[in-house]
Amino acid sequence: MEEAASTIRDGDVVAIGGGLCMREPMAMLRELVRQGRRNLHIVGTAHGFDVDFACGGGIVGAVEETHVSFEQDFGLAPNYRRACETGQVRIKENCCNTVIMQLRASEFGIPFVPMRSIKGSDEIKLHPEFKPMVDPFTGKKIVLVPALTPDVAIIHAQKADIHGNLKILPPYVADVLFIRASKRVIVTAEEIVSEEKMIEEGPTIPYYETTAVVNAPFGAHPTSCYPYYAYDREHISEYMKSAKEGADAFKNRYLDKYVYGVKSPEEYLEKVGGNVKRERLASWKESRERWMELFTYG
Amino acid sequence: MGEKFEVGIDELLVFNVARTIRDRTTVFHGVSSPIPMVAMYYAKLTHAKDMVYFGGVSSAVDPNPPFFPPTTNDWVMIQGRTAMVTVDKIFDLAQRGELDRSFFSGAQIDKYGNQNVSMIGTPDRCKVKFPGGAGGCNLSGDCVNYTIWTTRHRAQKKGDRKFFTLVNKCDFVTNVGHVTPYGRREELDLVGNGPDWVVTELGVFDFDEVTKTMRLRYLYPDTTVDDVLDSTEFEPIIHPNVGVMEMPTREEIEIIRRIDPLGVRKLEYPEQELARRFQI
Repeated sequence: MEEAASTIRDGDVVAIGGGLCMREPMAMLRELVRQGRRNLHIVGTAHGFDVDFACGGGIVGAVEETHVSFEQDFGLAPNYRRACETGQVRIKENCCNTVIMQLRASEFGIPFVPMRSIKGSDEIKLHPEFKPMVDPFTGKKIVLVPALTPDVAIIHAQKADIHGNLKILPPYVADVLFIRASKRVIVTAEEIVSEEKMIEEGPTIPYYETTAVVNAPFGAHPTSCYPYYAYDREHISEYMKSAKEGADAFKNRYLDKYVYGVKSPEEYLEKVGGNVKRERLASWKESRERWMELFTYG
Repeated sequence: MGEKFEVGIDELLVFNVARTIRDRTTVFHGVSSPIPMVAMYYAKLTHAKDMVYFGGVSSAVDPNPPFFPPTTNDWVMIQGRTAMVTVDKIFDLAQRGELDRSFFSGAQIDKYGNQNVSMIGTPDRCKVKFPGGAGGCNLSGDCVNYTIWTTRHRAQKKGDRKFFTLVNKCDFVTNVGHVTPYGRREELDLVGNGPDWVVTELGVFDFDEVTKTMRLRYLYPDTTVDDVLDSTEFEPIIHPNVGVMEMPTREEIEIIRRIDPLGVRKLEYPEQELARRFQI
């Protein structure tokens, strides 16, 4: 983990996988905070815990996500808001399909793509690189958006093998696009499985598209990584209390406890509730009632 | 019959949003959208059985979620589905002009239906950062039509100042309505036709065909035209036949309660709104 994280450099454009409160590469982000990375330019679609955590951890210089919140469960993202409102991060808010089309341009190896939306929105003020023009074929107004090629994508997968083949279970959100569009792909995986097992199940992503793989059980916690665990509402609730109070409270009560003071994945699991917590978050599959309970506790 | 049955504003709003969905259409909801989440599935189970139901960013086609979670990106939302697609395929559909409806909201909404989901202030001096529009900036341009909803129409008084959600002018236009700061939709060559309904906790609006501005069509049994005017910074057009909306039946309300046992439909309201009760 330390070695993989150390290949991510200050100022890199980083695509963070998953979305909202699902399958976000939290173990990698915790390691980047521990290593004191700075000024990362974060890109992606609709996110939540990951981006808020990264802003609170001081590793972010610009945010080019399309949405950052805890939706109606916990509402606005306190660290992200604070970072935007104090000018600690540059606001480069983008829109989902624009990001998707920009990633596709990169995936296709072409320099830009034309779009018919965005026009009429002030989002264009945040992106002087977008070029309004007239379609030479139809004479209609369009907007050209440049290819988006992240320096690195960090992705949390359910399974990987030692060659870098990945099994990711849907929804992928933008992960497959990130992998194809980024220069390097660093993967944390809930489980490392044998090559035979991976081939039997059929990889979602073949090995030549990934750069490095790290085994990281519970690596998306407190976001969900089904079928292993649902999201940890109790933990997120504790997180929100310190994050809402301010940057110092967040550092003293959250980062010191769950990031700086933690030496191993085992220690992290212990701190967030150990096997009792892990089993509880895995209990979603027992019944509808058990699953519903996981969205109300905490 | 005869026995009175009590419903809440949360159930009426779901019902009203669902009524903007027609059968045999393609429909998608975005993030942070608990009311459209419940309304879409309700429509699929009742009057729009042949709609193509995309259950949010999880991108399942025609899911049967066992309940609604307070997030739109969870395995709950892919249960009982017909198929999985990836979210980019839903945006492709919209770009081709084949996504019939979506749902958007905003911290500020103007009379043309433009919405601010981004910020108060400017990008360099941001006073309040909202979450951001997710796919709204694209889809509000591309969708054939869309429904705007808000649970915060009622203006908030703080001291001698009044704060509106339905404002004269948005500080920042994230999602595009009929007339944008950069021109009218037809001048911009946008794919879709813009918002056609605005459902709030005080009333239901459509848009006047000539001025392309919001027009009050229906009230709740406990709201008046004056209540709406008092909470709206601009002056909306009042439809000559404005009246109280048609109420759902007990059976319809029971479906809403059954599909949403966690009550995520209530999460967006200031507390006093949830105290409103209606007899049907």
